[in-house]
Amino acid sequence: MTLIKTENPDQCISCNICLTACPVAKATLRYRGPKLTGPALSRLRKLVDDEDNMLKYCSNCKNCERVCPSGTPIASLNMKARANYFKTHKHDLADHILSNNEFIGKTLTKIPFLPMIANQTMHIGQKLKALDIVGLSSKAPLPQYAKEDFYSIYKKYQQPACEKKVLFYPGCYVNYNEPQIGIDLIKVFNHQGIEVVVDPNFKCCGSPLISTGFLDKVENLAKHNTKLLKSYAEKGFDIITTCTTCALILKQEYRELFNLDETVKSYAPRLYDALEYLCLLDEEGKLKQDFKPLDQEVIYHTPCHLKVQGYGRPVFKLLPKIPGLSIEDANAGCCGLSGVYGYKKETSKIARIVGSELKAKIRNSKASLGICECNICRLQMQNGTGKKAVHPLRLICKSYFPSDK
Amino acid sequence: MLSTEVVIIGGGATGAGILRDLSMRGIQAILVERGDLGCGTSSRFHGLLHSGARYAVKDKHAAVECIEENTILRRIGKHCVEPINSIFIRTKEDDESYEEKWLKACLDAGISTKALSLNELFSLEPNVSRNVQSAYMCPGAAIDSFRLLWQIFDSAKRYGGKTITYHNVVSIDSSSGRVHGVTIEDVRTHERKKIACSYLISAAGPWCGEIAAKAGLSLKVIPSKGSLIAFNHRICHNVIHRLHKPADADIFVPHGTVTILGTTSINSSPDDNSTSQEEVKSMLEIGKATFENIYDYRILRVFAGCRPLYSADENVSGRNASRDFVAIDHEKDGLSGFMSVCGGKFTTHRLMAQKVCDIVAPKLGCQKHCQTAEIPLIEEPSSDLINRAKKVFPSYSSRLCQDRQGPERFAKILSNIEQNPNQGELICECENVTKAEIESVALEPTTHSISDVRRRTRLGMGTCQGTFCTYRAVGTVKRLKCDWAEDTSSLFKEFLEARWKGIRPVMWGNQMRDVELARGIYEVSLNINHEGEKDE
Repeated sequence: MTLIKTENPDQCISCNICLTACPVAKATLRYRGPKLTGPALSRLRKLVDDEDNMLKYCSNCKNCERVCPSGTPIASLNMKARANYFKTHKHDLADHILSNNEFIGKTLTKIPFLPMIANQTMHIGQKLKALDIVGLSSKAPLPQYAKEDFYSIYKKYQQPACEKKVLFYPGCYVNYNEPQIGIDLIKVFNHQGIEVVVDPNFKCCGSPLISTGFLDKVENLAKHNTKLLKSYAEKGFDIITTCTTCALILKQEYRELFNLDETVKSYAPRLYDALEYLCLLDEEGKLKQDFKPLDQEVIYHTPCHLKVQGYGRPVFKLLPKIPGLSIEDANAGCCGLSGVYGYKKETSKIARIVGSELKAKIRNSKASLGICECNICRLQMQNGTGKKAVHPLRLICKSYFPSDK
Repeated sequence: MLSTEVVIIGGGATGAGILRDLSMRGIQAILVERGDLGCGTSSRFHGLLHSGARYAVKDKHAAVECIEENTILRRIGKHCVEPINSIFIRTKEDDESYEEKWLKACLDAGISTKALSLNELFSLEPNVSRNVQSAYMCPGAAIDSFRLLWQIFDSAKRYGGKTITYHNVVSIDSSSGRVHGVTIEDVRTHERKKIACSYLISAAGPWCGEIAAKAGLSLKVIPSKGSLIAFNHRICHNVIHRLHKPADADIFVPHGTVTILGTTSINSSPDDNSTSQEEVKSMLEIGKATFENIYDYRILRVFAGCRPLYSADENVSGRNASRDFVAIDHEKDGLSGFMSVCGGKFTTHRLMAQKVCDIVAPKLGCQKHCQTAEIPLIEEPSSDLINRAKKVFPSYSSRLCQDRQGPERFAKILSNIEQNPNQGELICECENVTKAEIESVALEPTTHSISDVRRRTRLGMGTCQGTFCTYRAVGTVKRLKCDWAEDTSSLFKEFLEARWKGIRPVMWGNQMRDVELARGIYEVSLNINHEGEKDE
């Protein structure tokens, strides 16, 4: 029997606050907003079948859920509706390509030179607008594949013996696209006397599959990952992520979508974002304070999926400790890319409108570098601004170990 | 002075059925209703199109009539019936020995009962209690009463049938032991007029006694009140019954966007449609056997209606009284040309009308047969119309509009939106009602209030219960310059009060928060009560 929760729109009192916080509704009048698409239409979807043009507009950024005074899982209702919709309507090719991130990443990074060729091919494909044919945007910033995946690097990495151990859930992006974030995490945590454990048995959290409407596939991932996370939590491990989307899905979205409340509850209180965890260490007086100066101006963008989790913005507690570093708060709402949303041709235009404020802020900023926890946001921050964007762990790592590359 | 062959009193299912039947036989008829069409008993039930299975054990005759009429209404009233099924579940609390009796009775009455394994049941109805012992599927369905009534009136109109709403019957005029007309009064203007007729039929349901009294006759109708609870969404896909001897709160009907739980049976007065919090609580306690998580589902509102039970035996009442109908020819009381029809069920209203008209028509010299079972109430919209609508209507709204309004009005609404896309904006976001549809209904001659618009569109019947659609609807009708829409303040109050009446007995949890939001909008931001204005 399926674990997918039946849609219950009863928490919503139709107050429409979500409409005021929705970046997509602000960008296009074609989207009637989260309340209508989520809770309101979920009542009608149980009654009639119809072409549903609204469903594709939700980017699952979850700003609606952040502001909802009734705790309605609005975006999750949208995602469930999207999954149900595709039981009777056809997916486009782009959905199949974008949802296969884990398979593609795994395959590419296993074979020497293939990532380079793939990156190059994708780049050319985009230039020639060949991607348009399969429904992918030729303007969205494509992630680059790493030469070697994170697990392989991790296996070879020598960590000093530590008393305390944490489990790190790297997620697909760290694993196949930017292993450096994982390495930085290991270095920073080792510096605090904490060993980082990585378990290759974890699977993709399912974010791209949720967005493309393959909920039954996510169900299997959720079952697998939650069981494994529970076993680590029971062994006393704290769990660390560097991807705000992975964290949100593991901690919250699995519960909204599936009947997995008890399993998720068993580990969710032990699951932390890397910077959040460092902040807690700092509060306990356990964080190493030997930050060396970094003479740099950076601009920080707050990812939507971080805001939704409600643990504040640890960046502003940690980075000011680095002497010489000046941090500007971009305060420009959603980046718009929202995972697969910005890559699909039909929604990429909206993604660009949503992200235009952030990009303008970065472009006009004195800062030479963007920082952000979210991998996808960073791609958008770099796209067309002429500035690089990195995970804040990179700066912390550079400050602790200035001689490091 | 108006003149016709037959006057029918009461714009509920019985009266509507009689009007259509007589009109189709070519008999001139005028129906008089004191309020809006279908605002009494006929819309105040759970919207169940019975399969007859509920009555099979106790009353085979009623059961057979139900299954026959069910089949007919699914055919002629296609746009009013949701072609789902009824599932009868026997829980641990229900008498096991009843199951066998029931199965045999259904077989005898010609009602199909398909046994469902528990796995089949739970995959069809995941929210149903895990305490179920056995389950059967029968051909019950959900029926939209407002829509059906309106479509019956539309159909009758095509055959010359007339209706006059918002008129009270002041007196029944007779001489030498024979009725020759009625005097009616406009509820709003108090203007009186007479209608001359050769025959009078009272189909006033629980008010039949009051109408008979106007002719100096005594008629004992026992108004039996039944309360219903509307939940915010469809918690089941099919009608869920308890497999036991009919009792309170044992039927859940998924009806449009909501689920309705019914009902109770309390002796009352015909105008009493109140429900107490105690009644709601006891219904939920019983309902828990069907849906164990019933307290997790949000209640939108409650409503109640009075069944017009008639019994020659004065000691019989409530669930013991027959659900059959009676046609009383008052000739036996010394007044000819007058008949009272009461009792009966919504499901069998057409058959009741047929039986009544079979008696009345020959008296008027008409030998034509009943045709109401053969001809659909409304015509099917063309596929061209449906395809055009899909292009311009917001998602999930074109089918609903088409079902509610019938092909002619639907075509007008559609071209209105095609000409001006802004007319496709949603006024009611909970029930997906467009501005064009609201305007079309507001301009109907039978519409005199926002509540009348509601009964024809479901405006304000969803999650927000009028919080956001009331001001939009009032603004819309005001701009149309309808004669009834001049005083916006009273439009607001009439509609919101009617909404809040149904919410008061269930004001807890999210419904309480919703009401506070509505109060904030109407009593604070819009200040519809003009508070503080006298101080200045």
